[in-house]
Amino acid sequence: MARVAVTGVGVVTGAVTGGREQIRAFLASSGAPALSVPSSALGGLIDETEARRLSRICQLSVAAARIALADAGLGPGAGLGLVIGAEFGDLRSTIAFVDGYLHRGPGGLSALLFPNTVMNTMAAATAIAVTARELSLTLNAPTVAGELAIARAAAAVRAGRADAVLAGGVDEFDSALAELLAEGGAPSERRGEGAGFVLLESLDTAEARGARVLGEIAGVAWRALRARPYGVGRGAASRAVAAALDEAGATSGEVGRVWVSASGDGPRDRWEQAILEEALRPARPPQTALASRAGRHAGLGALAVAAAALDEVSRGPAVVHAIARGGTHVALVVRSVHNG
Amino acid sequence: MRRIAVSGLGVVSPFGTGVKAYWNGLSAGACAIRPVTLIETEGFRCRIAAEVPDGFGGSLRRSRADRLALAAAREALEDAGLSRVERAEAALAVGAVGGGMLEAEAWYWERFRGRRPPSRPTPRSMLPFSHAEALGNALGLEGPRETLVMACSSGAASLALAADLIADGVVATALAGGVDALTRICFMGFNALKLLCPEPCRPFDRDRRGMSIGEGAAFVVLEELGRARARGARIYATLAGHGMTTDAYHVTSPHPEGEGMVRAMAAALESGRIAPAAVGYVNAHGTATPQNDRIEARAIHEVFAPGRLLVSSTKSMIGHTMAAAGALEAVATILALVHEVVPPTANLETPDPDVAFDCVPRVAREAAVEYAISNSFGFGGQNVTLLFGRA
Amino acid sequence: MDPKEVLDELKTILVSRLKFEPRRAADMTLETTLPKGVEGSIGLDSLDFIELSIAIEERFGILMDESQDLTKHFLSFDTLAHFITARTEAG
Repeated sequence: MARVAVTGVGVVTGAVTGGREQIRAFLASSGAPALSVPSSALGGLIDETEARRLSRICQLSVAAARIALADAGLGPGAGLGLVIGAEFGDLRSTIAFVDGYLHRGPGGLSALLFPNTVMNTMAAATAIAVTARELSLTLNAPTVAGELAIARAAAAVRAGRADAVLAGGVDEFDSALAELLAEGGAPSERRGEGAGFVLLESLDTAEARGARVLGEIAGVAWRALRARPYGVGRGAASRAVAAALDEAGATSGEVGRVWVSASGDGPRDRWEQAILEEALRPARPPQTALASRAGRHAGLGALAVAAAALDEVSRGPAVVHAIARGGTHVALVVRSVHNG
Repeated sequence: MRRIAVSGLGVVSPFGTGVKAYWNGLSAGACAIRPVTLIETEGFRCRIAAEVPDGFGGSLRRSRADRLALAAAREALEDAGLSRVERAEAALAVGAVGGGMLEAEAWYWERFRGRRPPSRPTPRSMLPFSHAEALGNALGLEGPRETLVMACSSGAASLALAADLIADGVVATALAGGVDALTRICFMGFNALKLLCPEPCRPFDRDRRGMSIGEGAAFVVLEELGRARARGARIYATLAGHGMTTDAYHVTSPHPEGEGMVRAMAAALESGRIAPAAVGYVNAHGTATPQNDRIEARAIHEVFAPGRLLVSSTKSMIGHTMAAAGALEAVATILALVHEVVPPTANLETPDPDVAFDCVPRVAREAAVEYAISNSFGFGGQNVTLLFGRA
Repeated sequence: MDPKEVLDELKTILVSRLKFEPRRAADMTLETTLPKGVEGSIGLDSLDFIELSIAIEERFGILMDESQDLTKHFLSFDTLAHFITARTEAG
């Protein structure tokens, strides 16, 4: 069983774009919430020839992946795997594709847009851009997709099935989409957009190549709590947090901070609090909800893991926690090199 | 290294509801590809597909895809005889692409035309993860839950990942499979790419002209082999290994030499510690596009010597069922091992002389096979090969 | 239609459907080569050509017979314009 090291991070979000240095600065600051990624954020990361063929969400994903690889000091193609989480995928291209047909019939269909109607388009584009030819997965889940992808990737590295994996997520969001989803019955919460990846490697490999290790993912678990689809469950007994702490060899009393997935969806946020209280009691470690600064999206998983690893203030391992309506539940235990 | 048993099967296919209807169709070499009824197809060059006939049940408040998944998942769980506690701890891995898009499209179409959209199902069930939520809730599954979106290899990837969870000791049992219902986006898109044949597809045929689309769902129950034996479960086959690779070449075209396909098949054999000569049957991805079949045949040739290897494409009978394909075809492969009969490639009139293998034209072949593989080589270069062994 | 008019229509398609920057399209001439792999071309791949075919069918009302090898017609804007003009006159 290998130990899982976090050796790089890259995020492209409304609130922060960059690697570990930019994230450190972001954590130390207290700017206003920023939910949308400005077009300037992609400058220098995507060239013109690529940009023509990449939809916006694919550009976000490729950009963040490149930043993460550079942050890790790795070139493309180093036996790299890829696990991407997403909640919505490329809905913008999907809508444009069907609009083409509705407005102009079969002649209005776009062959270039069609591949983007399948949610693995971001993984396909990113794999090509960074030459990732090992395992390449796209996981779809509400709210927790980024954390889930990182948990999946960490499990693969631990079991020796993968050497180096870029793991994280990407979501794109705008007001037109928000309106459509609301019409269709989606709950209201603070949604943002962006991409975020961490690079995971076995600790041995990382040390052998002299990587700058950010931290360690010491335990992961994902389960499902009983709940109706899109609903909030009544029970709060979680096996995920306990299993992750167990794997990390840590107790609830040692947890220094919990990075929560709260995002302004009242019932779901309260459910998260109930789960954490039950799982960690009597301990009540401080919490940080990154969605309050960046809006909820699948790129936050990587930002949370990196933030937990970079945290020089809290003592003890951190828990990165995410729960979705419908019950999908993820817990990661992150040890910082500073004081994990 | 924990060995994985397949202890339950559930299918809803273009041949009807249930594993029995599926095998009856497959072994007869029947073709379920017919004129489309679920959506409008006027103005498109190809107007046929393999639709699932009525009879799979489920509340019409649910999306078609949810209902297909529920019927197949229920059959698998009942077949395996898992208790309520076992279900609560079982992992759930679902391969999905279209999600509830068929109903979301209907909603959006009506809205575009200025008419009042239907109130049920709503676009909330549009995304691929909706099936896992529906299954988890209806069937009491509270273990690790994942939805994999990997284009045409989603249904196979879900089996591979579920097997990993068991091998890693995270869970004792898993329900894994894939589902896709026909959607306008899929049908129109493949038409626009000119990848569809106006007649039922003919994989590995010299005169093949493209794919046919299908729909359906298949789920299998996986568990650790020793445990399955200890509880006296029916063991259909072992999932002896798997390989997953990425071409990272082009967003729609496969690598011209099938480099990722070769690596996936080789990795599957290596993970199961099986020599190529031990494999008697390849259930090919076999989409019947001029390109895929040529490249896949070449890749198969690079891994296996022709010898007595049998190769057939289930897509000749049920079309390309998208996210369900990897799972439906895994079940076809498992049933071939169980019944000692290899399903044929339907519509194969003139075998392509460039394909070095016996592609079992039109009539099923009796063959007692020790090991068989199932290939799923998805759009965007996502390659999955599953290796099954006779029980 | 004369080749220059066809070229203008094709440039519009390149911007609206193939997502080229307008200033790049403005610089293109009849001599500009199209397929990836040809030196100095605008680098169109197989998917771009499918998109271009769909757009040409829609805009010029002609039908592309994909059972034939049309590669030579897609070498440059000049060859393409001639192909389209011949088809529209015949149709």
